[in-house]
Amino acid sequence: MTRRLLGSLIGVVAVVLLAVVGNLSAGNEIALGLDLQGGVSVTQEPVGEYNSESLDVAVERIRERVDALGVSEPEIIRQGDAVVVNLPGVDNQDEAIRLVQVTGAVLLRPVVSASPISPGAGVPETEAPATGSAPETTAAPGPSRSIPGATTPDTAPEATSETLATDSASPSDAEPVDSVADTADDSVPPTGSDLPPASEFADVAAQPISSDPNDPTASVIVQNIDGTEIYQLGPAFATGEVFNSDATADIIQGGWGVRVTLKRGSGGEDLWNIGASQCFSGTGSCPTRRMAIVLDGVVQSAPTVNQPSFSGGVDITGNFKESEAKDLARVLKSGALPVRLEVQAVQTVSPTLGEDSLRATLVAGLIGIALVLLFMILYYRTLAIVVVGGLVVSGGILWNVITFLSASSGLALSLAGAAGIIVSVGITIDSYVVFFEKLKDEVKAGRTLRNSAERGFKSTWRTIVAADTVSLLAAFTLWYLTVGSVRGFAFFLGLATLTDLVVAWFFTRPAMMLLARSGRVGRRGAFGIKVAPGGAS
Amino acid sequence: MTTGNRSSLGRLFHGETAVDFYGRRRRGFTVSLVLLVLSVVSLFARGLDLGLDFEGGVAWQVPATASMDADIARDVLRENGLDPANAKIQKLSNASEETIRVQVADQPADVVDAVQKSLAEAASVSSEDVSVTSVSSSWGRAITEKAIRALVIFLVLVTIYISWRFEWRMAVAAIAAMAHDVVISVGVYSVLQFEVTPATVVAFLTILGYSLYDTIVVFDKVQDNVKSFSGTRMPIADIVNVSTNQVLMRSINTSVSSLLPVLSLLILGSGVFGAVTLREFAIALLVGMLTGAYSSLIVATPLVALLKQRETKYASLVGPHSTGDTLRAMVVSGLPTGVRATRRAEATDGGPSSGGSDSATAVLTHPPRPRKKRRR
Repeated sequence: MTRRLLGSLIGVVAVVLLAVVGNLSAGNEIALGLDLQGGVSVTQEPVGEYNSESLDVAVERIRERVDALGVSEPEIIRQGDAVVVNLPGVDNQDEAIRLVQVTGAVLLRPVVSASPISPGAGVPETEAPATGSAPETTAAPGPSRSIPGATTPDTAPEATSETLATDSASPSDAEPVDSVADTADDSVPPTGSDLPPASEFADVAAQPISSDPNDPTASVIVQNIDGTEIYQLGPAFATGEVFNSDATADIIQGGWGVRVTLKRGSGGEDLWNIGASQCFSGTGSCPTRRMAIVLDGVVQSAPTVNQPSFSGGVDITGNFKESEAKDLARVLKSGALPVRLEVQAVQTVSPTLGEDSLRATLVAGLIGIALVLLFMILYYRTLAIVVVGGLVVSGGILWNVITFLSASSGLALSLAGAAGIIVSVGITIDSYVVFFEKLKDEVKAGRTLRNSAERGFKSTWRTIVAADTVSLLAAFTLWYLTVGSVRGFAFFLGLATLTDLVVAWFFTRPAMMLLARSGRVGRRGAFGIKVAPGGAS
Repeated sequence: MTTGNRSSLGRLFHGETAVDFYGRRRRGFTVSLVLLVLSVVSLFARGLDLGLDFEGGVAWQVPATASMDADIARDVLRENGLDPANAKIQKLSNASEETIRVQVADQPADVVDAVQKSLAEAASVSSEDVSVTSVSSSWGRAITEKAIRALVIFLVLVTIYISWRFEWRMAVAAIAAMAHDVVISVGVYSVLQFEVTPATVVAFLTILGYSLYDTIVVFDKVQDNVKSFSGTRMPIADIVNVSTNQVLMRSINTSVSSLLPVLSLLILGSGVFGAVTLREFAIALLVGMLTGAYSSLIVATPLVALLKQRETKYASLVGPHSTGDTLRAMVVSGLPTGVRATRRAEATDGGPSSGGSDSATAVLTHPPRPRKKRRR
């Protein structure tokens, strides 16, 4: 028994120490939340109709944009539908808002010219005209997509370029696939009203090139998704809203491709066919015969158009890997019903304010804990050793968990969280107070210290578990159902409560029992407990 | 309760108090009722000063330089087409700097930018030094709704848990005590017209947790004693009084240890170092912890006694309960005194079980024999 207690005591201290060493050697640090570091926080919420893909895609885009900006330790939090973006160290509010305003909308643009970027693919691209009757390909090996290790389908040449064809295998005049006709939605409002009429596409060379890659009315220069090709694109002739949100990745003609249906009417099929026929003919606006699917200034795919007009649906084929086809399908789904995120709340915290607050919280918290310890020492004398030890161990556990989560999943310690931890010191201390008071009762009832410690802990443990369960219930409900600082607080409250349970069982229990067994502190006076009522107090 | 002299403090320290919590319940209930009525009246009459995050709006915070004060801020608002009469302009100061905070209702983004630039110009600082907080009113409403929903679900869960772990009577009493604490804390905010911020909500929720935590520790003791006195004919009032006195020291110690960090946050954090974010948080916690400790002893426990008195087992035992030294003896020993047991048996003379109770008491009156230290 003694050995097991000692094992538990040494074990918990060793684990905490090892974790501290591990975290320190990995260079992990506690990430400070926005309110402690200064920066901008933007909360957005989707308005109107959107599908879950478009929200996912929008959040991913935000993440990529923020990462590209090089903001250190940004936080992008999905809270229900709300998207909270915390950008520590960013002090320009406008820039931050622009950065996070992403829609998941897809633009369809004609490719004016394309050239590979990767040093290996030096062969200039020569796009052969594709005919509707047979899927045509480029003769040159200059790939529009460099896909290492991709298996080549039977029709080997086709694999080098992505193509667009109607759903059905027959080239033109294809009958709409049944499912397409059924799902076609007549009530969809016409899209692309802010786009220029198709007749304006004519002179691409004269188009000024816009620096904003998302400007639908201008020509732009953008890269493709894996950075292998750079394109000059004409003004968008349509948005992804010409499609129904039913894009799926599928095996098409022996390789992975994406199949999607077109909305009916002027906002869907008609608009798409205007662009498709221009690209197919290879005239001024679309000399390469390729059409780029662009999401947030990145070309997702730039397939060659294989037929002048489409009916019902579109197949996008090429040398896709399964994952790439699925990604493209998701992008198309998102584009079909893009999410409109509306800024709901913006907070700029100046870093000086944050610094002051941090120092104030830290100093006040440490002084508070010191006062509590002083009170414990005055009141419980020798027993306070266990309290000090327990607080050090629980502090160690908290530090380890927070640093680890900071490094691994971007948890940031906010002011509310820090306050939550300091407040939870009260809960931890209470466990000791309940235990020691119980111990006093047992000793007073005439039991030996050793016996009292065992019995006392048993009943105290029940009390601690009951009371901590309520705290955990509170923490969990709040964390799950609320947003913002309340959520941060709930997380740290829950963490601290769990730590309290762990420390009570693995540290306080063995420490107290071993103390009670060792003869040296066995004298009752040392515990601030005096049995005789006449004793000086 | 303790008059502060040495002997009663000593009694408290040694767990020998004999405060008749149950007998004085009416006094406690009256105090609570007065506070509750004051809170509710204030809530209806004055309402709550809901902060930016709940009502929506825009706030700018600009360093109070030589060329910047509240009047200039008003001029800036007027220049930008906003009515300064509807604005809330405060001067905030802490150890290192003074800032002017200007708050108005929800504004379009270009107005927000324009005011930010004008304020920066007026204060002759760069516009980055002017921090902006803006919350749309719909978002504020959504946050409030979410918080309320979380609260309701939490209450349901806690009621289920306490009913399962203890009994439904205790769940009712605990929730009543908790409601008491939260209403009074919210009342303090209404009376003093403190601004309710998300931090305040966090604090209220903490209060709720603390209050329940405190109450559960006391109820745990009551449940223990109900079990150990189950063979006797102790009235529930005695059991509750004994339990409350037995946990009194723990309640005081815990409250002191919980209050010390909060007081430190309040006095040092926001007072000396000027972290304003902490001030409201700390005030709410302070009030909540005080009422929490108070209600667990004065409200929740007598309430349980009143509820349990309707049980058949205790209904027949309603009568005078022990006070003074008799109570003290029971608090110290954790056992009914011989005198008490006899008197109780006489009082219920004629009852069929009077003889049985004597023998049951006799078995339990032996204090545990001190064991000899075993050698190992």
